[in-house]
Amino acid sequence: MKRIKGIALLGFLALLVVSLVACSGDGDKETGGDSKGEITLDFWTFGATGYEELAKEYEKQNPNVKIKIKSSETADHHDALFTSLSAGSGAPDIAMLEIDQFDRFKVAQDRFNNLYDLGAKDVQDQYLDWKWKSGENADGDFLFGLPTDIGPKALYYRTDLFEQAGLPTDPEEVAALINSPEAFEEAGLKVKEATGMPFVDSIEMAFRAYLDAAETAYLTPDNELNLGEDSEVKKAYDYAVHLNDLGIVGKYEMWSPEWANAVNKGEFAAELGAGWLKGWMEGNAPDAVGKWKVATLPTEFAANWGGSYIAVPSETKHAQEAYDFIEWLVSPENQLKSFQSHGLFPSAHSVYEMEEFKTNEDEFFGNQATAPVFAEAAQDITGIGYKGEKYFPVHNEILNALKNVQNEGADPEKEWEAAVKRAEDLMKR
Amino acid sequence: MNSANKKAIWKKKKYRSEEKKDMISGYLYIAPFFIIFALIGLYPALFSIYLAFQKWNGLSPMTFNGLANFELVLTDPLFWKSVYNTIVMGIMGTAPQLVVGLILAYLLNLAFLKFKSFFRVTIFMPYLTSMVAVALIFSVLFSNHESSFANYVLTNLFGLDPVSWAASEWGTKIAISLMVFWRWVGYNTIIYLAGIQSIPNDLYEAATVDGANKFQQLRYITIPMMKPFIILTVFTSTVGAMQLFSEPTVFLGADAFTRDEAMTIVMYLYRDAFRLQSFGTASATAIILLVIITIFAVINLRLTQGFGRKKRGVKK
Repeated sequence: MKRIKGIALLGFLALLVVSLVACSGDGDKETGGDSKGEITLDFWTFGATGYEELAKEYEKQNPNVKIKIKSSETADHHDALFTSLSAGSGAPDIAMLEIDQFDRFKVAQDRFNNLYDLGAKDVQDQYLDWKWKSGENADGDFLFGLPTDIGPKALYYRTDLFEQAGLPTDPEEVAALINSPEAFEEAGLKVKEATGMPFVDSIEMAFRAYLDAAETAYLTPDNELNLGEDSEVKKAYDYAVHLNDLGIVGKYEMWSPEWANAVNKGEFAAELGAGWLKGWMEGNAPDAVGKWKVATLPTEFAANWGGSYIAVPSETKHAQEAYDFIEWLVSPENQLKSFQSHGLFPSAHSVYEMEEFKTNEDEFFGNQATAPVFAEAAQDITGIGYKGEKYFPVHNEILNALKNVQNEGADPEKEWEAAVKRAEDLMKR
Repeated sequence: MNSANKKAIWKKKKYRSEEKKDMISGYLYIAPFFIIFALIGLYPALFSIYLAFQKWNGLSPMTFNGLANFELVLTDPLFWKSVYNTIVMGIMGTAPQLVVGLILAYLLNLAFLKFKSFFRVTIFMPYLTSMVAVALIFSVLFSNHESSFANYVLTNLFGLDPVSWAASEWGTKIAISLMVFWRWVGYNTIIYLAGIQSIPNDLYEAATVDGANKFQQLRYITIPMMKPFIILTVFTSTVGAMQLFSEPTVFLGADAFTRDEAMTIVMYLYRDAFRLQSFGTASATAIILLVIITIFAVINLRLTQGFGRKKRGVKK
């Protein structure tokens, strides 16, 4: 008798568990096709991409496809995606991946569809080679994502401060004058002498000058730390310390209110910014209209900062449909649209030849057509350094060292050694 | 087995199994809680013990790591800094809270105080506010900027130098402790108030007849009688202080996991798991935190058991 009750009890418990599990698992994952053959694709994005409008256009052309876009803040987006991929359920059909976050996802190749299997080889030659290559795995036989925008760096400079310092203000003349790290330094000294203002806004930007251009940054592709005395990171570190010793580095921190104010008022002369900074300036520095211009950087500093990819996680039931959509979404024509509406700088090189792109004048930059400057910068880039899973934690440690040097006058060599020690510790985890 | 058969057996055993039946239905009633607890409480807890001995980044397969995770954490200066921060902010945030809470409760219970319920509600109010809203507002009041409210008060009213509240060793700790204090003092006051009101009046009357003054009454009647309430608040405050996380995280925003001035043990743990993708060391930290909380609980127990048992103290 006991047994029957026991079985009944067990059955009841089992039922409860099943219903609980059913509640928690399902719900948002209703992406399966219904009887009409209509499919829904979940698409997670971050930041302002304007993909909503493009998706509507695609839905019109493909009435059987519905695209559900969920846009979140950059860090939240990647954390949510990471969690759902780690749990093995809840990931979207399509997901955007920021280039700096990309490498922590690359360790999980099995959680993504190989876009080469879905037809990506056919469109490869439309995109910048370096951008395409960093969407692949190390062996080059697996493609995680299609390229969206890129972040070619250029020299943003204040024309009023340059003028006071007796420097040229025309973008081409500036690019011709500041054509090497040494010339960059000299220009900085002139600005400081004449105006008293710092040249570069922050020690991070001074550091990033060489860092972003490094072929091997903190980690080698085998995930070994690369912080020896003759490493590229050390070179970038020493350069930042050197500029700081010359007194031409400001103490602003990017995105802080004080920094925004300085951009607006012209309290520093130059910013090594990527293409996307333009959009921010236009919206947030109303007093600086016509005061900033953009020139190409010395080739030593030519680098990419930011940009994204779109990937198709392997959980999706509609890999091919998802791929067809993203191939359309990042086609050169649509990249031009994203550029015009939201300033996403195209990674498809054919866009650079388009008339609408070349003549896109910016009122903010005193009617300079800035796009070609960035396009030139994009083509100067030879490759993107391997970043690796722990890029940011290591970056923060080195950056803390630099901040201590700048703010507390700490000894750069000691700070460097301490930061390397902390970085080594991080790598063991 | 058919139903008639079943019934017969039921009947036969009915008398004997009445108690058992009650027991089973009782278990069934409480089963939902235990099932949910097992799924979202117990399972993750046990799994994190398992994880503490693995190296895992969340996506790749796990590899057994032995005690290396514990070694990494225990030899990390940042971990000890976080333990130090947690204890310092814990003491600064909770100790004054308990003293002030006791005083406030005493004042709120005074017979001649007017608008009692108004004051009671007002003092309790901060506890009801959203933590994130509080931390955001405090981060504006205590910003690094020279014109922030806190710096304005310091410079204009006291003639002191401005403090960078979000980036200096003591500035951050003081700002966060103040925030914790402000939010929790009302909660403890209400508990103490309930405690004070539960003390029978005849004890005080008897004491007055015996010639005890107000201070003696407080010392020999109120505090010993309040002992269970004090133990409760000390306990919850200690555990809460050990788990300090949201306040510093929201207060410091983007800097929360890159600077070390206000990094608490739980933040250290979170940083390991979700910033460094190192779930093994994060789980090891969780176990170390468990040990630390246990130690503090035992110390608490020892300390609180001792006090209130003076010669004339009331035995429980």
